[in-house]
Amino acid sequence: MNARFEALAPALIEAVRRYLARRTDPATADDVLSETLLVCWRRFGEMPGDPLPWAYGVARNCLANAERGRRRQARLFARIAAIDPPRASVDGPSPPDDDLGGAMARLRDADAELLRLWAWEDLAPPQIAVVLGISANAASIRLHRAKQRLREELRKTGTPAGHEGSTEGSRP
Amino acid sequence: MTDDDLRARLRRADPAQELDPVAPSRVARLLEETMTTTTTTAVRPRRPLIALAAAALVLIAAGVGWLIFRPQTEETPPMATVQLTAPGIQAKCVEPTAATLAGRADFAFAGTVTAVTGGQVTLRVTHVYRGAAADQVQLAQAGDSSEQMMGSGKFEAGKNYLVASAEGSMLICGYSGEADAEGLQGLYDQAFA
Repeated sequence: MNARFEALAPALIEAVRRYLARRTDPATADDVLSETLLVCWRRFGEMPGDPLPWAYGVARNCLANAERGRRRQARLFARIAAIDPPRASVDGPSPPDDDLGGAMARLRDADAELLRLWAWEDLAPPQIAVVLGISANAASIRLHRAKQRLREELRKTGTPAGHEGSTEGSRP
Repeated sequence: MTDDDLRARLRRADPAQELDPVAPSRVARLLEETMTTTTTTAVRPRRPLIALAAAALVLIAAGVGWLIFRPQTEETPPMATVQLTAPGIQAKCVEPTAATLAGRADFAFAGTVTAVTGGQVTLRVTHVYRGAAADQVQLAQAGDSSEQMMGSGKFEAGKNYLVASAEGSMLICGYSGEADAEGLQGLYDQAFA
């Protein structure tokens, strides 16, 4: 059991770390990563054959818990101040895609999260279903609709959507 | 716009795409922290360790005190006895290395168990790898978790053991155990060469 967990953990840590980096600030990401790992270790017996979606699901719950905390509030205020100048780090070297950022921001949280899991975590509907705790069928249908809504939003925006894009990636 | 286009466009906006891979040392530390956390305590495992170290220090002080002040009525020459404690926690460990052993242990010896009574294990020292010479070590065994020690996982009378400790507390996680446990003797030879 030890050896199996030790063999699995590096890949798990890397993936969960990315998952968290996409959704919260670095300090919270650090805290939640340790917590997620601990929960994975304690519930190792329940870990399914494909551990990643399950681990994302654990991380999602841990993050939700952390974000309910008061510390989060203080960090958020600090971040809002820091966000004011647009953050280049969010978009990496490629030019910022303000249209996309704006369109994502206008989607419902649940839709945007489905799309993030699909595009960023590279998950198929049955895996997304494990993360969100819904049926594979529901995940498939909701993802399809979310894609349509995003396309719709992108079509609507002819002009750049300003700074709305910088809030993307910080949503839980 | 096809699904693939949409996905590609979303991916270009992935905030984690420039994230460097996590350093192996950080993975190791995270893993160790996670796997050494006791199953009953919450996220931070520090306090029990401090309590354990404190308990070990008290034991050592008591042992030394007893050695100095005990009545000299027996005929046998006084024996240098070392007191150690063995943690009863359910520890999960990373691969032991000679460097860590050499760095952490302040006392290490080879010995044979002469008695196991209640929670107390007495070992006759056959060789001291590091630390002051001692004839005998008394070890308070707090639990008999199988993860603690190499080999059978507990002390049994008549068997030979290699035991390392730091600040009076036995080092577990592959650093102490039966002398013939795989790799343990080699680890000691390498660490205390």
